[in-house]
Amino acid sequence: MQLSENFRIAVSTLGVHKVRSLLTVLGTVIGVMSVVTIVSIIEGMNEYVSERLVAEGSNTFYVDKFGMITDYEEYLEALKREDFTPEDARAVERLSPSVLAAGAVSETQKTVRYRAKSVSGVNVQGVDEKYRFVESGEAVGVESGREISREDVLRRKAICVIGQDVKDKLFTGVDPIGKEIRAGRHRFRIVGVGERKGSLLGMSQDSYVTVPISAFRKAYGTRNPVYLVVKARDQASYDLAQDETRAVLRARRKVPFSEPDDFSIMGAETFMELYRSFTSTAYLVTVGIAAISLIVGGIVIMNIMLVSVTERTREIGIRKAIGARRGEIMVQFLIESLILSGTGGLIGVLLGVAIALFVSGVSPLPAAIRAWAILMGLAVACGVGTFFGIYPAARAAKLDPIVALRYE
Amino acid sequence: MDNLIELRGVTKVYQVGAEEVHALNGIDLDLTSNEYLAIMGPSGSGKSTLMNLIGCLDTPTSGSYRFKDQEVKDLSDDELARIRNKEIGFVFQTFNLLPRADASHNVELPLIYAGVSRAERRTKVDAALKAVGLEDRTRHRPSELSGGQRQRAAIARALVNEPSVILADEPTGNLDSKTGEEIMQAMEKIHRAGNAIVLVTHEEYIAKHARRIIRLRDGLIEADELV
Repeated sequence: MQLSENFRIAVSTLGVHKVRSLLTVLGTVIGVMSVVTIVSIIEGMNEYVSERLVAEGSNTFYVDKFGMITDYEEYLEALKREDFTPEDARAVERLSPSVLAAGAVSETQKTVRYRAKSVSGVNVQGVDEKYRFVESGEAVGVESGREISREDVLRRKAICVIGQDVKDKLFTGVDPIGKEIRAGRHRFRIVGVGERKGSLLGMSQDSYVTVPISAFRKAYGTRNPVYLVVKARDQASYDLAQDETRAVLRARRKVPFSEPDDFSIMGAETFMELYRSFTSTAYLVTVGIAAISLIVGGIVIMNIMLVSVTERTREIGIRKAIGARRGEIMVQFLIESLILSGTGGLIGVLLGVAIALFVSGVSPLPAAIRAWAILMGLAVACGVGTFFGIYPAARAAKLDPIVALRYE
Repeated sequence: MDNLIELRGVTKVYQVGAEEVHALNGIDLDLTSNEYLAIMGPSGSGKSTLMNLIGCLDTPTSGSYRFKDQEVKDLSDDELARIRNKEIGFVFQTFNLLPRADASHNVELPLIYAGVSRAERRTKVDAALKAVGLEDRTRHRPSELSGGQRQRAAIARALVNEPSVILADEPTGNLDSKTGEEIMQAMEKIHRAGNAIVLVTHEEYIAKHARRIIRLRDGLIEADELV
């Protein structure tokens, strides 16, 4: 018996029970849909993050005195370590040939006010004169006014450079230069407005106030850790720059030869690792959810196929009486459950793609639709249909034609 | 003339719960390839069981059943299906057409299971439907056909694979007497064309259409007479 004949029979049979067929495949639809949606979004984020982190910022790495802290003891120990200072950054710049520039930064969140207006959750950064250059490269500078200078840092001046968001919210139609704002309980005079940076993964990069790090530590205390941000000359000297920085800092902090670093260096690859371990967990969760709904979906398919076999006992009897062999009955029902679950898989893929595109359209999350995810979704759906179709199909094939023909 | 069907001491015992039901108690029967045989008997006499055995839907408990010199007992399930498909055409009391398929698809089914090509199927289906006078009803589903038309579609289905024998189980049982007569005329035509027919009925006047009548009682052949 030709396969095309089986397909024809299956499609026409399923067409008779449209609503039932649709409800039957719901589990498969949801399973495949969640896989396709989540894979698309995670893949989109992967692409985006690796582009941003590796392609643009891979020459940069961070140094802080904490590193990866895993318990409170360790934290208390790390707290006792010496803070980094802008002078450490200068030393790294001076003594490491592979380092292009280094900056120091410390940050906190404050509400920023100008007269009656306020913006909350602004990123207030204490920086040295090199930080903004290291962090954003030469592309982003000030739109008006000036950057924070070495003199500002040395003299602990209460001045600041504000981001575009802060300017937009506090100074409509007013030139902010020379105005005084309050960040928390401390006043800073605006000397410059930064150029617009845009947003990263939906978070604005323009909601900041930078002040000299010396003034920052005076105003907000020394509890906020100071990071060094170091930029290598190029991609090739990246590893070397890390080694040189480590040597310079160990010497400055007088770490004995036998002791481990009392600071840690984190590059883009460290963040990528962290990010990847997060997304692989998300992948596992997705696979788990999908597996459960596919199994449940498969059982539903099996159940409905058993109902279908019972309903069509007489049809099976007729087919057997006129010469259908066991295998042919088996294949007929297997194809039916295959088409059922395959259709579910197809609907799931379409919905998944639609949701992924919708999410990336209305939210900052990017989406990358992957052919392998779609094919895998379809293959798994078909596999589920075949697997859970075996038992009902075998039951149909085993029916005694005499009993089946007599069935009312 | 070689025997198409040869039964020797055939018995059939069913297990119904703890009880054994002896449906057939030793049947000897020969059928040649151009006979028209009617099997008669009251209900419970074993007609249907004998019919199922002859139709290779079932196998005997003991004794020998040879179909075209092949011992049916030795055949596998799939080989029995092959014989039902190629050698036997069934006509049932309740027609047993697939309700969702039209007349021509119903007639086509045995050809599909026989692996006949699409083009050849079309010619054969058209010829079979024409032979029973249903050429203008090919696209109708069973629910859109009258009882007589349904039975004629079923006869076309039985004929389409050019079987050696047609097995008709109370073919007129669900029809009024006029339509029943039409169906019997159609059977007569088939017999004249050279087919063997086995007819199961409990109506004397229907049985009279056959050339030979056997009467069953309690699983035994009580009488075997020529009409």
